[in-house]
Amino acid sequence: MRSVSDAIIERTSMPPMQADNPEHAAELLARIASEKSRAAFAELFRHFAPRLQAYATRQFGNEQTAMDLVQETMANVWHKAHLFKADRGSAATWIFTIARNIRFDFLRKNKHRQHDLSADDLWPILAEENESLDDDYALDNDLLMQQLAVYTESLPKAQRIVIQLIYIEGKSQQEVADALDIPLGTVKSRTRLALQKLKELIQHHD
Amino acid sequence: MIKFHPSEQHLVHYMLGELSPAMLMMVGSHIDLCPHCQHHLRDVEEQFAMKIFGQRQMPLPDLDEETMLNAIFQSTSAPVVPILEMRDYLNLEGKRFKLPATLARNGERIGPWSRMLGKMWRAPIEIGSGETLNFIYMEQGAQVPEHTHRGSEATLVVNGVFNDEVDEYRDGDFVLLDGHHKHTPQTHHHDCLTLATIDAPMQFTSGLSRLLNPFSSLFLK
Ligand SMILES: [Zn+2]
Repeated sequence: MRSVSDAIIERTSMPPMQADNPEHAAELLARIASEKSRAAFAELFRHFAPRLQAYATRQFGNEQTAMDLVQETMANVWHKAHLFKADRGSAATWIFTIARNIRFDFLRKNKHRQHDLSADDLWPILAEENESLDDDYALDNDLLMQQLAVYTESLPKAQRIVIQLIYIEGKSQQEVADALDIPLGTVKSRTRLALQKLKELIQHHD
Repeated sequence: MIKFHPSEQHLVHYMLGELSPAMLMMVGSHIDLCPHCQHHLRDVEEQFAMKIFGQRQMPLPDLDEETMLNAIFQSTSAPVVPILEMRDYLNLEGKRFKLPATLARNGERIGPWSRMLGKMWRAPIEIGSGETLNFIYMEQGAQVPEHTHRGSEATLVVNGVFNDEVDEYRDGDFVLLDGHHKHTPQTHHHDCLTLATIDAPMQFTSGLSRLLNPFSSLFLK
């Protein structure tokens, strides 16, 4: 006879690949961006939406406004996941800043605070960018090539393989995705995470 | 090397959008220029996101997940935010100043230059909040008469150097003065472009410049 608490313990001791694991959350966003995965979005949603709702309800003191904020924030996550840059912060932070922008524009429409600045004027996190690979991967090629090879060894295996295929074998990201049979978004996010880590290692050793 | 930064409070309020529009522009422009504050801002955002999302949270009874998920899946794409027109440079008197990103994004709000007293120029930034936000350009050897403020004055050095009795301020420095401070900003061998907001007219405090007080609202506010 299983008690309710047994069932809860069993659930909470399941493998910890949940949306509050930052790497996993970033992977979910990458799957949304690359293949419009509804399953990935639903998993993110079940983690973030209730917490966002609790926050927004405290902020606005109005459940309908709070619900609107949740829906608008999560709709942006769904449609704009390709704008998430794993090397600039966690998925949680990105989602929080989207909610912040939406809250700012909600409050701006309140007549007591009227002014012309929109959230996009201040924090253009949802503005489309020129997808410039050179910009994203701005590690100078001739910069510390030898040290890089050493540092690359310290990366997690999944990231190391991607970096080696791209930077040593000269494959394109799409070729890497095909070779490893993983989504392009995953290749991109692993590349960004790896380069971020390499930059840190280099700066740390300067 | 930037010496003067907004306070931690300013950064937190900026991050939440809870400063006046003029101060959001000022603090945002400082952050554009300041790697230290960029880093700090990312930390503060990360902490705040942890605070909201790191907690255990039972699903709330009135959140109908399936309905909202379906609404989102069926929604048409959210409107595309276009790449904003950037105005990267500001020109005055044959000089060219690179603008911090926050100002570059809001380039169409920058009004025309007009000459103020002496060797100073002003261009307003229209943010529709009733606040005064101006570029102030001081040529070499310019001086603002000594003054205090009933409210507070925030100044960001965009490019150049100016001094007051207390210190020297250079590119990126963010200075906040309240009514307790008297000061006489001036330039010597450099010119200086600043961004400034004051929330009440200046009070000139010394000599003949006191005569300016009735007109101080014309002067800077
Ligand atoms: Zn700073």
